[in-house]
Amino acid sequence: MRKIFITLLFIALTNSVFAQAKKPTLMVVPSDVLCNQNGWMKTFNNQGTIVKVPDYKRAFQESTYLLLVISKINQLMADRGFPLKNMESAIKTLESNAAENAMRSSKETGASVNESPIDQLKAIAKADIILQLTLTLNKTGPKKSITFNLQGLDSYTDKQVASASGTGAPSFSAEIPVLLEEAVLSHMDNFSSSLQTHFDDMFANGREVIVRIQKWDDWDEDLETEYGGEELGTIIEDWLADNTVKGRFSTTDMTEDMALFEQVRIPLFNEKGRAIDARRFVKKLSKVLKKTHQIPNKLVMKGLGRATIILGGK
Amino acid sequence: MKKHIKSIVIVLIAVFAFSLNSNAQRRKNKKTKDTHEWRYELDCMSTGKQGTYLVKVWSYSKKPRFAIEKAKRNAVHGVIFKGFAAGKQGCKSQKPLARNSNLESEKEDFFTDFFKEGGKYMKFVTASNDGAIAAGDRLKVSKRLYKIGVVIAVNKDELRKELENAGIIKGLDAGF
Repeated sequence: MRKIFITLLFIALTNSVFAQAKKPTLMVVPSDVLCNQNGWMKTFNNQGTIVKVPDYKRAFQESTYLLLVISKINQLMADRGFPLKNMESAIKTLESNAAENAMRSSKETGASVNESPIDQLKAIAKADIILQLTLTLNKTGPKKSITFNLQGLDSYTDKQVASASGTGAPSFSAEIPVLLEEAVLSHMDNFSSSLQTHFDDMFANGREVIVRIQKWDDWDEDLETEYGGEELGTIIEDWLADNTVKGRFSTTDMTEDMALFEQVRIPLFNEKGRAIDARRFVKKLSKVLKKTHQIPNKLVMKGLGRATIILGGK
Repeated sequence: MKKHIKSIVIVLIAVFAFSLNSNAQRRKNKKTKDTHEWRYELDCMSTGKQGTYLVKVWSYSKKPRFAIEKAKRNAVHGVIFKGFAAGKQGCKSQKPLARNSNLESEKEDFFTDFFKEGGKYMKFVTASNDGAIAAGDRLKVSKRLYKIGVVIAVNKDELRKELENAGIIKGLDAGF
């Protein structure tokens, strides 16, 4: 009995000591303004409105400067133990996956791979933190300088979690690639430093996520329906207050049909010491709603930091 | 009489040897004391080569040569604990590697050993132009005090890795 207890204690301890938080993915993305200034845009007619969207594939095919800067940033971040996703490769992988899925069929029945419209919509190059890059070449007579702006944007909370920006010294003789390399080298330490501040905050106060509650339109109840004398919306708020780190979250919107909770600080690890993300966190709320209040629901996730519960069925 | 002379000679030799030793010790203490109070300033010189900072270290000393010797140590100390402001030639300000302002006292044993004479800090610095000092960088600030500016290249990437491996500072990927 004693041996079993010691073994279990050892397993629990090693679990908690060696537990690692879920590592966010990072990817450098050229900003809309950079694409627009260089003509790397696609235009299409959206019901009479002309819409311009960045054409990233064209950007990577046409600009050696862009590749140079991204490659340098990737290299410096890899040196810091944070290799980035390469957007150009991600786009190529998506294209080849789409082609393979289109060609694939079952050997037995001839069925093709099932892909819902939502799946197709989600098949884009994405990362948990987008490093949005803007470069401007300034010219005053023969003098050239580079304005560099790198913003770390959280894909879920839309917050800028890190940044580095500035204009380098003007030069008469230096070539543009040299100026670009110098801009990256002089800014990346400050960028990494502000990113580290974000991670420190995350380890101290939990991961910041977004939780959304919606309902199917054929469900007869809503967030104002009372369960045990309490409105469903309030029950959900109370659950969040009990389960978030230091009870931190903001109720941004609450109607009878939907609720939006922002700045929800979730713990990085569950009681078993395993790393969790927004989906694993909200899964517990989903179970409470199902078991305690008999509300069937569907849990939908987006990356590490966004989860939605749709009430009324799967 | 002969015996007395022999004793006197032995005593004189012993006294002479002792004074030599204590003089050397005093010089060493003076050199350390002159610059050990971390009284220095850092100026950014330009964006160094990849992995390095190129800084000018202004150290204070009563004897210029002591300040030159200690400029390297001050440069490493500055990169770890002080950081530096933006300078000329588009040089950007940089934050210190240590994010905790009490780190030096919290890890006193490590840093005492790290910054001792000929300590590990020497691995991460190189003096530009073999430590040659420009005419305008040797300033006499008072009757018995010099302010000396030496351009030093600090290998900050290797320095950061060394501190991370020693558990002194956290890496960007720590905890993931």
